[in-house]
Amino acid sequence: MAALTAAQRFAELVVEVGANVQEGQDVLILADLGTEEAVREVAGAAYRRGARHVHVWWWDSLTKRERLLHARPETLDYVPPELGSTFERLGAEGGCFIWVIGNPHPEALAGIEPERAGRDLLPKVKESNKVIQAQTMNWSIVSWPTEGWARQVFPSLAPADALERLRRELAHVCRLDESSAADAWRSRIAELEAAAERLTARRFDAVRFTGPGTDLTVGLFPSSTWQTGYFERLDGLKSLVNIPTEEVFTTPDPARADGVVRATKPLEVGGSLIDGIVVRFEGGRAVQIDANANADVLRAIAAKDDGAARLGEVALVDGSGRIDALGTVFWNTLLDENAASHVALGSSYDFVVEDASDRSQANQSRIHVDFMIGSKDVDVDGVTADGEQIPVLRGGAWQI
Amino acid sequence: MTDHSDDFRRLADLLVGFGSNIQPGDVLGVSSYLGMEELTRAIARAGYQRGAKWVDILWFDPFVKRERLLHADESTLDYVPPWMGQRALWLSEAHAARVSLTGADPRAYEGLDPARTGKDVMPYIKEVPVIVNDRTTSWCAGPCPTEGWAQLVHPTLSPDEAYEKLWEQITWVCRLDTDDPIGAWEERMKVIVDSAERLTAHRFDAIHLKARNGTDLTVGLLPSSKWLGAEFTTVDGRTHYPNLPTEEVFTTPDPERVDGTVVATMPLDFYGSRIEGIRLRFEGGRAVEIDADKGADSLRSIASKDDGANRLGELALVDRQGRIGPLKTIFYETLLDENAASHIALGNAYSFPVEDEADVARINQSGIHVDFMIGTDEMEVDGIAKDGTRTPLLRGGEWQL
Repeated sequence: MAALTAAQRFAELVVEVGANVQEGQDVLILADLGTEEAVREVAGAAYRRGARHVHVWWWDSLTKRERLLHARPETLDYVPPELGSTFERLGAEGGCFIWVIGNPHPEALAGIEPERAGRDLLPKVKESNKVIQAQTMNWSIVSWPTEGWARQVFPSLAPADALERLRRELAHVCRLDESSAADAWRSRIAELEAAAERLTARRFDAVRFTGPGTDLTVGLFPSSTWQTGYFERLDGLKSLVNIPTEEVFTTPDPARADGVVRATKPLEVGGSLIDGIVVRFEGGRAVQIDANANADVLRAIAAKDDGAARLGEVALVDGSGRIDALGTVFWNTLLDENAASHVALGSSYDFVVEDASDRSQANQSRIHVDFMIGSKDVDVDGVTADGEQIPVLRGGAWQI
Repeated sequence: MTDHSDDFRRLADLLVGFGSNIQPGDVLGVSSYLGMEELTRAIARAGYQRGAKWVDILWFDPFVKRERLLHADESTLDYVPPWMGQRALWLSEAHAARVSLTGADPRAYEGLDPARTGKDVMPYIKEVPVIVNDRTTSWCAGPCPTEGWAQLVHPTLSPDEAYEKLWEQITWVCRLDTDDPIGAWEERMKVIVDSAERLTAHRFDAIHLKARNGTDLTVGLLPSSKWLGAEFTTVDGRTHYPNLPTEEVFTTPDPERVDGTVVATMPLDFYGSRIEGIRLRFEGGRAVEIDADKGADSLRSIASKDDGANRLGELALVDRQGRIGPLKTIFYETLLDENAASHIALGNAYSFPVEDEADVARINQSGIHVDFMIGTDEMEVDGIAKDGTRTPLLRGGEWQL
């Protein structure tokens, strides 16, 4: 028998460990044009596991560019109903969602006014967050290398070398270079789940980040719990919602974030690259947003709705993860957020908050934008209800 | 390889601006396939430049469908996810403009079991004929040259040459060879629409077609059969062109009154089997003798599918100004092939060319609709009035009306 191709091994990991496709399920794959090689294998693997139907919703950032260049300004907020209603149906029927990110045209939004770019967040739609909150869909977000993305990540390499390097690094961080990627992920998930349990047991009142340019305290709810990317549906079906994932995260109190935070990595949002982010919080709200480039894009996003300027997530990443060790900036949140501790503006996962009264206060927004604030130089402390500060991460190593 | 970006832009402008006749504020629905990225992006641009509120692209990947046909449980193959139909109905409710592209890579389905392939007809969905009938959307179907399609049409050329040859032919038949393709089409549509109106005004009882190759066929019409060219009007009164290119005027015949012999002038390709040298003899509307130099059995099996399968559902006339027939090329796409020459179709009939309810009840019904070309430039086509008077319609490929 011929050895499996890289795309076939990727596909097996995605449908088995990642999305955990079940017999009879409808599967929605949202995929960048340019990832056909992988997506067709994922579709085939899902059908072999008994999927009833696999629908691929191809996404083309160059078509989005045409819209942002030429559409009338008053139409840019319009969101077509079909993608949202597809998510609602998946949620209602217990379907499966896979997002394959290939970032084939990193410069797709180059030269677009940031204010215009910030108004069109597709392919993100609010219904996907709603269905994720309802915990009725198994899902996974994964990345596949493309030439365009490789050029962006390794601009000094020849195109073919850049692609080869990106393939190799993605295979490494997805643990596809292990003899059994599935087993490698099962043991990493066990480590992360153990760290999350220890953090939850402490019931910290807040977490504090201190480092170069950063002194930020993020308040937690009394019943905030720490979780990993190994999600469980209400019916118990599990899926690893990001491959790779290295984080433990919780939902903070959106009314209690204070201080200044300097991002430690650049951020890519809807095709715009935002570098050198500095955000000042007061009473939970981002009152000042600056950046070296494209600060307007982030400001436009943070002005989308009431919750868009408040925190919906705080996540810790320890130094044993595979992403940060590479030292590569992938210009892709899925990967970069797992390189370092991070916070997110916008929507929260309210199911990680145990008490209904706390849960009702969890942040709500149609946006969710993660940005990286951790590094080996950033100390993380847990703050107890009586004000004691307990070291949590020092130089990237767990202290608890 | 030649840069076709300008050709794609001009084709997109034709399909969106003229074909769908998009208006500011419209949603533009696009049915596209992977492999058509460049034209699709040009269509998005053309739409937004004309004030589209949103360009909604359904990208269909025949190679993902191939994975389904290879690996899915057979009992699931006829399942159609509801959102495909919901999207069509949403476009209808929004009174959207629509552009549908043809020319997808046919190699995706090579070597698959026909029994399984027949069960999954997507991207075709049953809602599309419904919204077409409701006339809510202003739509246009047009061709997109792709490498896969080019190699099917021109198998003896190298892939690059085949692609360039197909582009040359599409440029010609879409009248993109002129500086003003929309002007050229407006002029052509005037001929087509005027011919259809004059044909309808005569209320012929039958049409007689006679050619040197042995064709001598009389096709009866229904009292309220009218002739249409491919210029449609929506319920909102907007004109659009459902097919580009289009060359035909067509009507729905009386399935009980077809007599004589007809000889096809081009081969017919039916799901991969080629039928050449078709000769049919009709009596009382029914094809009583079916012969062909090659593939006669396939044709006989098609014509015995159901009761209506060996009766006529369409009669279409194409004059000599038509650009497709003279290329003597089979494109394996109905959009182009059925506009090559005057043609008839065995099987299902359209009801909209028939005005009276009583006549609509008589039109042919079948699960098949197979067009084949019977026209030649020298064919003499006459209209026959109820009293037997004959009026020349086509002589030497020119309209005589």
